[in-house]
Amino acid sequence: MRVILAEDSTLLREGLVRLLVEEGHEVVAAVGDGDALVEAVRASPPDAVVVDVRMPPTHTDEGLRATLEIRRLFPSVGVLVLSQYVEKRYAAELITHDADGIGYLLKDRVAQVGEFLEALDRVGAGGAAFDPEVVRQLLSRTSHTSPLGRLTARERDVLDQMAQGFTNASIADRMHVSQSAVEKHINAIFDKLELSHQPGYSRRVLAVLRYLGS
Amino acid sequence: MRERLRSAGRVTLGVAIGAATAFLDLCFVIVAGLTVGASWIWPRAREIVVPPVLAGARSLAGLERRRVVRYLGGVEEHEFTGWQAMRYLALRWVVGLLGLFVLFLLGFGLAVTGSMLLAWTTGFPWSFVESGGRVTWETVALAAIPGAVLLYLDLVGIAGVAGLDRALVRRILGPTANALLQRRVSELSESRALVVEAVDGERRRIERDLHDGVQQRLVALGMLLGRARRSQSPDKTAELLVQAHEESQQALHELREVSWRVYPAALDQQGLAAALENVADRSPVPVELDFALAGRPPRNVEAVAYFVVCEAVTNAAKHAGAHRVDVTISQSDKMIHVRIADDGVGGADASGGGLAGLARRVAALDGSFAVVSPAGGGTTITAELPCE
Repeated sequence: MRVILAEDSTLLREGLVRLLVEEGHEVVAAVGDGDALVEAVRASPPDAVVVDVRMPPTHTDEGLRATLEIRRLFPSVGVLVLSQYVEKRYAAELITHDADGIGYLLKDRVAQVGEFLEALDRVGAGGAAFDPEVVRQLLSRTSHTSPLGRLTARERDVLDQMAQGFTNASIADRMHVSQSAVEKHINAIFDKLELSHQPGYSRRVLAVLRYLGS
Repeated sequence: MRERLRSAGRVTLGVAIGAATAFLDLCFVIVAGLTVGASWIWPRAREIVVPPVLAGARSLAGLERRRVVRYLGGVEEHEFTGWQAMRYLALRWVVGLLGLFVLFLLGFGLAVTGSMLLAWTTGFPWSFVESGGRVTWETVALAAIPGAVLLYLDLVGIAGVAGLDRALVRRILGPTANALLQRRVSELSESRALVVEAVDGERRRIERDLHDGVQQRLVALGMLLGRARRSQSPDKTAELLVQAHEESQQALHELREVSWRVYPAALDQQGLAAALENVADRSPVPVELDFALAGRPPRNVEAVAYFVVCEAVTNAAKHAGAHRVDVTISQSDKMIHVRIADDGVGGADASGGGLAGLARRVAALDGSFAVVSPAGGGTTITAELPCE
């Protein structure tokens, strides 16, 4: 894939470039702030963008601003956002727009090289990738009245994986069950949470995340 | 001695001016008393007469106070009302006249002494003691002792009048005890707010330190190890492992640095001198440390002194391009003086983040903090920390 990186720490930027090149991706540009990122994407739209939320000048949410801008200009470009902490507000902001090809990972997840690369591939292909930690936090807000409380432990595991952006096949692999078992669980989840059965994986993920974040 | 004479001269001049203005005060008090008293009968007239009278009283009292501040000292500026000014003027003319008498006695004494000595040296008859008398050295010797005593009494009288003048301004125009308390309370609430702000600033800095330093290194380390595990060639793996090993050393070093910046352990265990020696050792610019404290000051004072020096030395190295820094820690009664002077480019911004934070920390201890940094002329930072 053609990838553009935005990360203000030189150390990490260099490391990411090396990693992506080793994996056979083409790094079109590697920049250190939000404005430069938007410029680079305008100059040559890539398949995917990896962006750090905290960048100069204010070190707050520059990366997020740049992401929303890129989504507006080039909806087909997948964006993988790396965040210092899990910020529900950021996650919510990313999924309020119709978002195929959005990912939101904890920055430290980069150290789990395999997971990071997989998430990048999903986002680049128009799928979704949400950090298990983000999903866990969203899932943890259960109360007895919440329909989440009515899910079985198995169903919660499936929901957790689905919210991260995995396909049925991947979920089946990861849980060592058959695909049809996963589909059954998912149907049960959608019924219990009163979500419409959305076709398309990222839309399915968005439905779940919106539900969790609401 | 010369300074003392000069200040005595200034006080005498102040009393003399005060003696002259006493008549002005008295006239004003009489006129104001009559007009205001007369207007008391008609409420309508009162509204017309009283405000200008009070305004006049205020400006006249303001003049008197300016005279006291300038010539006699020991008084601070403070807001006062028209009625306070009236009360002040009603008493002030008495002090003025007293000053006039005292000065008159001084003049009279000097005239007598002068003429007597003149008669003694020229042999002219002198008719102060007996008519047509001659002044002999016995007369001079006899007059010298009481003369000296009278001169002394008179000088003390001048000082006394000056004291009365000051006391009157302080008592009537000065801040009341209540106002002083109010001022102190507002100072304290301000410094309390500043302390909270300083603490928040510190925390933000620590978070940034951890995030920008340690965490990035650990993520980079994890990436190197991840790449090593994924790599297919043994050579590549070995190379990545070497890099990862170095990176882990860097991360450890970074962590040590951050925790040392958060709070140097040496400060608690070995005291300020040891902690400052550490600062000097670690500084890229040569630091000359002159440490002269008898005992250990209180911990909070030590900590503030330490952070002031630390920040100043860091700035000297990082921004000022200094070639040497002189740090002086000295003590005078109940005060610790911290002074850091560098020979860098100057032009430091005292309202900038780091220095403003230091000023807040110092203010929290009721200390004073100053930055002198002319462009091109080095930077001198001083902090005075009270330690009870």
